[in-house]
Amino acid sequence: MARVIKQKPMNWVERLYVYECLRGLFTTLKHAARGFFRYEQLPTISYPEGQPDIPSNYRAKHRLMLRADGTPRCVACGMCAAACPAHCIFIEATKSDDPRIEKRVMRFDIDHLVCVFCGLCVEACPVDALRMDTKQIVFEHRTREEFVAHLEDLTNWDPKDYPEDAQSQMAPGGTKNAEARKVWGMEVK
Amino acid sequence: MSNFYNMPKLPTENSPKVEIFVDDKAVMVPGDTNLLEALKAVGIETPHVCYHPYLPVSGNCRQCLVEQEGPRGRMLVIACYTPVAPGMKIYTPASSARVKNARKATQEFMLVNHPLDCPICDKAGECTLQENYMEAGQNEGRMRPEYGKNYHGNPAHQFIDSKGQVRGGKHVDIGPRILLDEERCVQCDRCVRFMRTIAKDEQLQLAGRADHTYISTFPGEKLDHEYDLCVTDVCPTGAMTAKYFRFQKRVWLLSHTPTISMDDSLGANIWLDHADGRIYRMMPRCNPEVNRSWISNTTRLAFQTFGENRLPAMGLKVIKEAMGEGKVAIVAGGASTIEDLAAIKLLKETLGDKAEIFGGTFKKVGSPDGIAMSGDPMANRAGFKLMGIADDNLADLVKRASEFNVLLTVNADLFGEDAAAAKGLEKIATRIALSAFDDETAKKSTLAFGIKHWSEVQGTMVNCNNLLQKLNAAPTCPDAELRPAYEVISELAGKPFTSAFEAFKKAGEYASVLAGLAYDSIKSTGKLLEGGNA
Repeated sequence: MARVIKQKPMNWVERLYVYECLRGLFTTLKHAARGFFRYEQLPTISYPEGQPDIPSNYRAKHRLMLRADGTPRCVACGMCAAACPAHCIFIEATKSDDPRIEKRVMRFDIDHLVCVFCGLCVEACPVDALRMDTKQIVFEHRTREEFVAHLEDLTNWDPKDYPEDAQSQMAPGGTKNAEARKVWGMEVK
Repeated sequence: MSNFYNMPKLPTENSPKVEIFVDDKAVMVPGDTNLLEALKAVGIETPHVCYHPYLPVSGNCRQCLVEQEGPRGRMLVIACYTPVAPGMKIYTPASSARVKNARKATQEFMLVNHPLDCPICDKAGECTLQENYMEAGQNEGRMRPEYGKNYHGNPAHQFIDSKGQVRGGKHVDIGPRILLDEERCVQCDRCVRFMRTIAKDEQLQLAGRADHTYISTFPGEKLDHEYDLCVTDVCPTGAMTAKYFRFQKRVWLLSHTPTISMDDSLGANIWLDHADGRIYRMMPRCNPEVNRSWISNTTRLAFQTFGENRLPAMGLKVIKEAMGEGKVAIVAGGASTIEDLAAIKLLKETLGDKAEIFGGTFKKVGSPDGIAMSGDPMANRAGFKLMGIADDNLADLVKRASEFNVLLTVNADLFGEDAAAAKGLEKIATRIALSAFDDETAKKSTLAFGIKHWSEVQGTMVNCNNLLQKLNAAPTCPDAELRPAYEVISELAGKPFTSAFEAFKKAGEYASVLAGLAYDSIKSTGKLLEGGNA
């Protein structure tokens, strides 16, 4: 059922229109004046200089999580590529040199021109290797090829940018790396 | 354990029909087979792991349980080893919660120590365990996480992983072509039965007992047999995986083209699995009359060279000019399809007495191995006979080489097969090779023209059992300019065929058994030709 909103009838001052018109102009002038004298209080961001504050669960550019020894966690199972509605993920696998790991990713490309940033790839990943929490939302490149993020690009992130995330801290350079390395280097019988 | 005597009897078209009651509904099923096949014949799939239609019944997986009404009430029996009897009463999960629970419990037991390897397993996507899990399993996890997996198999391969779980038997090198993952194995013993009863070379064994069972070869021995890659096909899990396909492609990304292998006159039925315009693997396609579920390693691994060393496509002007002068000897190779042969006959008719057709191979003709090879490298030999083309007169050609001015070879690598025997052919001044590959004959020829390989053409062949079989074109041709042999040859003859079927219709004019047939009337398992002379 439609909700009927009853509007308050205007009084005669409002119906005169002149007063209301000036009130509107004053609002505009007020913001313009704030732009001159109290710039930092403006509700809008002057975009290229000011960057928006992005929450960590915002679906931004992808990154690939790293193991304690710095190799990507990705096992090239292709689940993300299978889940991807835009077909923008290209994966090739190869044999790993590490005796504990059988399969390792050789090529992991995400075409960000095709990507729709739906986040299904992140949900599909069985080893929590793929995340979209880089807060990087701006993609500016000169050629189409540069929009394709390769393995080196996706694994090139700093644990210091993710101080609250325990998993990220296990990567080389993180606070929990030494601890994770101990578990990772467990005696293999 | 299995023995030689309990091969499953598979239903045929002539099976007597008997009435049985499935879920209290009367159905007519083939009467001379086991329950699993009988239910399949009426469209009821029973999940199974150890049963394979071309291997002896072992009955150890207990996944195919159904309920049967017996003198002592309703009992759980395995469908794969229960013969069909008229009037028997069967209950499937559709009506019986007990069967449903039993299958679910069996599935759960099978997966207790099965590793969560699906992301890195080459079998994922075509794995029987995955299929059964979706159909019969879907258990909630009842394993305590602190207990985890606890692998008890081969003690030599055990280790403790980074989560503290007892694991073992990863990527064991069991032979030159196969990797074994003991942990993924569910001890269905299909591979053991395959090596024992089909390959007739018992190289695999189940070692240990109960929970400690694992697949093994004899000490110091490796799994090495002409048919050993078939164990990767029969393996219901990812325990046996082929090295050549290891981590190459996830199987759900492969497209499948049903076709015929043209390297042997049995014409093994195969699937060409391709993606991104190249073949990734070749799998057997089940044909009860030809190769059942088996193909040899030679056939299977041949695809690796299909895309390499190819000849480029070229215009036909030069070849037409070269053909104009003197007598022409046309040599058709064994991989020529019926369509190619029709085009060759057409070319012969156009050239008249100037041309003569030869056929055959310099390769040695072996003997059938009884599994999936007839030993005859000339694949379409029966088709040659059918079309009235000589299939074994190359020696005659070599003897009379000086009579000819032009040698046109089609799909025939004469110099590669036997350089010594083919040496006499060098007397022929103009040698034109129509070949897919830049092979020895193409190198020795004066003009070499690229054509499509048999994996990339549509066509037909007749195998040594007189079965007309259909080849389908896989979209894996490396060069869009390349054309099939029948198109090129018919253009040389001046009456170009625009499609394979047009060539096939022309073949019907030369061989009356083929007249009136359409490609659609040739089933995927082939069509037996009456009155052939193979």
